[in-house]
Amino acid sequence: MASKQSLTQPPASGNTLAPRTLIVDNGAHTIKAGFSSATTETNQEPNLDDCQIIANCLARSTRDKRTYVGPELLDECWDFGELAFRRPVERGFVVNWEGEKAIWERSFVDGRAKLKCDPHETNLVLTESPNAPAALQRNAGEMVFEEFEFASYYRTMAPAFNAYAPSPFPSTATSASGVPIECLLVVDVGHSHTTVTPLYQGRPFHSSCRRLEIGGKTLTNRLKEVLTRTVEVQKEDWIVQEIKEDVCFISQDFNSDIERVWKGGLKDPREIDTSIVVDYVLPDYEAVKRGFFREHDPKISRKARALGLDGPREHIVTIGNERFTVSELLFTPSDIGMQQEGLPATILQSIYSLPQGLWQPFLANILVVGGSSKFAGFMGRLESELRSRVSEDYIVRVAQAQDPVKNVWLGGARLAQNEDVLKERVVTRQEYLEHGDLWTRRRFAGKIAR
Amino acid sequence: MATGPLRFRTPHIEELPITQSRQAPGFAWVAVAAPPEDPSKNWGTSNRKRARAAATGQTDSQKEALSARQQRETERKIRELNSDNSKDVQIPIPKKEAGGGGGARAGKTTNTKKILASGKTFAHYLDDEEAEIARTGRRDGEAEVVPAAVQQQRASKTPLARRRPREESSMSGSPAPFKPASSYAPPSDAMDIDPGEDDDVVASMPSQANIEALLNMPPLTYNQARSAPPPTNAPPPRKFCEVCGYFGRVKCMKCGAMTCSVMCKDTHDDQRCQKFYA
Repeated sequence: MASKQSLTQPPASGNTLAPRTLIVDNGAHTIKAGFSSATTETNQEPNLDDCQIIANCLARSTRDKRTYVGPELLDECWDFGELAFRRPVERGFVVNWEGEKAIWERSFVDGRAKLKCDPHETNLVLTESPNAPAALQRNAGEMVFEEFEFASYYRTMAPAFNAYAPSPFPSTATSASGVPIECLLVVDVGHSHTTVTPLYQGRPFHSSCRRLEIGGKTLTNRLKEVLTRTVEVQKEDWIVQEIKEDVCFISQDFNSDIERVWKGGLKDPREIDTSIVVDYVLPDYEAVKRGFFREHDPKISRKARALGLDGPREHIVTIGNERFTVSELLFTPSDIGMQQEGLPATILQSIYSLPQGLWQPFLANILVVGGSSKFAGFMGRLESELRSRVSEDYIVRVAQAQDPVKNVWLGGARLAQNEDVLKERVVTRQEYLEHGDLWTRRRFAGKIAR
Repeated sequence: MATGPLRFRTPHIEELPITQSRQAPGFAWVAVAAPPEDPSKNWGTSNRKRARAAATGQTDSQKEALSARQQRETERKIRELNSDNSKDVQIPIPKKEAGGGGGARAGKTTNTKKILASGKTFAHYLDDEEAEIARTGRRDGEAEVVPAAVQQQRASKTPLARRRPREESSMSGSPAPFKPASSYAPPSDAMDIDPGEDDDVVASMPSQANIEALLNMPPLTYNQARSAPPPTNAPPPRKFCEVCGYFGRVKCMKCGAMTCSVMCKDTHDDQRCQKFYA
């Protein structure tokens, strides 16, 4: 639409892009940020290594009494015990700009920052979660232009950028930079929630966006809750998150798996299948820097090991059905009483709200991104559940992005490489000062063409 | 018509309750294979106190209050699971080293000063937006969707319901106002596509104009985008043992928590039984 009307309206004066473009995928857990590496002339593909992962939080340790801001956490912190977090992004949206500003300044402006830039000389491409409240979009615009003073700014919903990333389906040729994939259903399994967004030519069908309110943090919190049955991990957010990433998986057959690790009743004790049960050795940040798991050994006594008797001193948690009952929430949210359908059904809710002619293209182009989709068995389970719910006439095709975490950034970087496309979309600071915030927001919504 | 290959629907298997549950001392088996109770064989040996406390003795309002309490409890738990920040911890932003210029929350303009100093949480923003939609009927960003051409007219005094639909606003550039296509089907019907009725189940793509209209629809609000609850005929939620995580089969009479076996029930009674609700 934008290109259609560009003929009738001459481009506004001062519509020149700054030399560099910073792409920021501002996730609730981590910021994925980096500069778009090349211009259209050199035609060099953006590299995933150009994308820095920055913890989007302020973390305070009670042990060394230090507050880690943003990138400092992953670079400088080595003791993650009893770390407390303050996350400026709530439910996927930047709510607390006071904290976010500190993190951004440390990441992009500060002298020690790896991605140091001069905002006056930089275009900012920023992502947000779908279905953002308007007040938060306004806040973002005001902060970007009035506080950071970026030269120009483009904000869009994060899933939309996936259409510009290389296609995950082997049969589809990778499109040129700045050209979206025609039909793509993006399933973004994020930290705060899981969103389903159907994209047509890179543009979302707004009325069919759906959100399942289970995300990585729900699973971490849930794992923390169930582990508290055996060990005291109430304050160990980081360690529990590591445990989740290390041992949790998605069961392909929940009922049989849970049966296999049941100890049985009083009268009918069962043999526990030790291929699922593991011992996780918790880090103490002295001898063990990073927790790890090994096969469950029933001979080891937890209490003796904690005291250093009978082998090296280590703190062990035995993890059995927690390995898959926790991650199962993505597929069965009713297990914690949540009144929402699981991920496969949510995807179908989104698809079935479209005209029937669009069902097939979207069912055959489901792309999964987001850090929480990295669980082993996730893709298999999603595909088999979708297959069993959809009529045989339809082809169902599900693929995971090559790097589920950085895929949004990669798409954004590829879009920014095409200067013409980028020029069409950004709002320059001059324009913002001239037309104001409402105009800017309507422009990002595609209501005003250049 | 139905000359195509034989097609099968996806089966939906639903477990039907075979008997009602019965009360037993200290706990209740959830599913018991026993003949239905026959009132003529009731010789008065059952515990009258319990009988009174059970279904018959409880008024509907009492039951409702109970389930409302359980509901609140679940909601509180889900909120806790979805919370972003560590509990009970205030982490102030570290002071900048000298030369950083200005305090952390200074803000360069009045707008950003306001944003930086605001202590609003996401729930506040959500409530604000819902309140605004209730008040004005639209969201903040759509304030000027009504284009200038319309504002030149005199404000119509015809009630909204009786007004004739106007041409689509020129600003949005959409060729036609969105009309839900007749091919729309609610999700539940998707399973019931009769193979004989329309051979071309994989329908053709809708026209470009239709797609364009769909693309131009305004975004849903945060609350509208939430995944819908499972259909009413979906299997009931699974219950899990509170102690070991296996399927919960026994319900604690005092607090309603589920356990899987006598061993877990003992652990529960010793350590965790909290009397939230009976």
